[in-house]
Amino acid sequence: MRIVLAYKWTCDPEEATARADGTVDWSRAKPGLSTYDPVAMELARRLAEEAGAELIGVTVGGKGVGAPIASKAALSRGLDRVLIIEDESLADAGRSELAAVLAEAIRHIGGVDLVITGDSSVDVAAKMVPTVLAGELGWPAVAEVTAVTGQDGALRVERAIPGGVQVLEISGPAVLAASADAAVPRVPGMKELLAAAKKPAELLDLSALKVPPGGAVMTVTGRSRPERKARKGQLINTADPAAAAAELVAALRAAGAL
Amino acid sequence: MDFELTDEQQLIRDAVREFADTEVAPIAAELDRDHRFPYELLPRMAELNLMGMPYPEKVGGAGADYVSYIIVIEEISRACASTGIILSAHTSLATWPVYKFGSQAQHDRYLPDMAAGRRLGAFALTEPGAGTDAAAGTTTATLHADGYALNGSKIFITNAPHADVYIVFAKTDPDRGARGMSAFIVEKDTPGLSVGEAEHKLGIRGSSTPPLYFADCRVPKDALLGQEGDGFKIAMQTLDGGRIGVSAQALGIAQAALDASVAYAKERVQFGKPIAAQQAIQWMIADMATQIDAARLLVYRAASCIDNGRPYSTEGAMAKLFASETATRVADRAIQIHGGYGYTESYPVERNYRDAKITELYEGTSEVQRMVISRSYLR
Repeated sequence: MRIVLAYKWTCDPEEATARADGTVDWSRAKPGLSTYDPVAMELARRLAEEAGAELIGVTVGGKGVGAPIASKAALSRGLDRVLIIEDESLADAGRSELAAVLAEAIRHIGGVDLVITGDSSVDVAAKMVPTVLAGELGWPAVAEVTAVTGQDGALRVERAIPGGVQVLEISGPAVLAASADAAVPRVPGMKELLAAAKKPAELLDLSALKVPPGGAVMTVTGRSRPERKARKGQLINTADPAAAAAELVAALRAAGAL
Repeated sequence: MDFELTDEQQLIRDAVREFADTEVAPIAAELDRDHRFPYELLPRMAELNLMGMPYPEKVGGAGADYVSYIIVIEEISRACASTGIILSAHTSLATWPVYKFGSQAQHDRYLPDMAAGRRLGAFALTEPGAGTDAAAGTTTATLHADGYALNGSKIFITNAPHADVYIVFAKTDPDRGARGMSAFIVEKDTPGLSVGEAEHKLGIRGSSTPPLYFADCRVPKDALLGQEGDGFKIAMQTLDGGRIGVSAQALGIAQAALDASVAYAKERVQFGKPIAAQQAIQWMIADMATQIDAARLLVYRAASCIDNGRPYSTEGAMAKLFASETATRVADRAIQIHGGYGYTESYPVERNYRDAKITELYEGTSEVQRMVISRSYLR
């Protein structure tokens, strides 16, 4: 059995700052594995360990995704090897374009039985890539996956649905997006971290993949954000709780909030 | 000159920080309050290969460089200074002398278990009348037909009574002073070895430091580490490395105090705005951050001397002196920024303040570090 784990190497928006014009300054944000990808890696790792499967990491993106530290970070979390497609043209690529490249990378690997992704990427959080990727591959897509067990051709998948859990049996290849809390990722041990550099990390040129040209072109042409209202900084220091509550209600009414 | 950590060092920092934030920090206040040894963390640290970081894989270690090991002590200490020193004492003070001075048989017997964290180590040098003047120890080791008999006492022994292996220093020739001191590997449960009541300390309360008593404690001849008379040299060389571990512990404490102060300064509102907007607070934060960064450069430099096979005694002493005094000063400023709340157990900075002081005292006081540094310049 061959499992692909699609992951993203990107920066955490919490470490970025917004400029006055609405654009984002990423210069001081440290790149790392997208927040939910270690959860997906843990899920995939458990399945690979149970099924004796090969676990291959795949990532696509702009400059930096092919940096050795990116591969080592992924490889220290139980992946057997990684395939990286780094190309400057992918830095601002849309979801459908990234999914198309991922699909070609998966075809390039060949013999893939299952693709597992994180819930969403920390920087964009569109939750679209798994579904579009499944469409590209012609495979079913399952989101909010909390557990996956079994063998090739007979996978038992659990997914969170409102108010409960849905159990699915999947016989063919599929794309699964792990829910954000599907598993608690193991902290990599020091030996795993130090051994990561010895595992194979293949850099593949984008031109080596036959990615079909995209259809629609989507470009961000403007940005706006709601004006932030200045805080009034009004403090209620009244000791008696009932009087303080009355004062608060009066203040909210005066401000037109009630 | 490259100030960047290697990929592996950065990833080790991230991984250990994740472990420290999720598993160590949540229990740090409780360990301190209850004077409780962190039993549950030792198997976890062993699982993550943290108990033998700088030792080769063939002897059970992680095979990491010394800078990586120091980063681990720093990150663990940022969450809990007690756990930091438990790890540092085990690695730098107990396992290192076995690795450096032990025979092949001693390596085979102890290193795999110690480096993998299956057996915890402790270092027993200090005595009631012999602290800074370590050579003044009066514990003796008398040679008999079947081994040595140890008699005397030790105090402030980090990791006792939980340790499985003790590195014990005793006089085999009391008339020769420092040259009459020898080192022994003493296993727990050896008849004649007993552990006293734990000290009640100002800080690092999760780390137990009771006295040890030796009453006709018989150890075999092959418990001798190195040769008879090597003890003082072994102790001093061990402490040279141990100091870098303590300096990393101090660095972690200082960073924790700064992190808490930055968060508090942004949240605490006085005069209608966060206190971070006050220049008085900004300057304190600036000084704290600058001092910590300077300390970090000294600490990492000392560790990199070990990695590069260069002498590190003076560099280690400088790192320990500066980092420990920085920790005390930064923790003091952290309480000042927190105001009255900083004096309560509601915020971690009071623990940082109490934990910081010991770093100026153990494994050589600041005065000893100054002695070591000045000797290298005035020889």
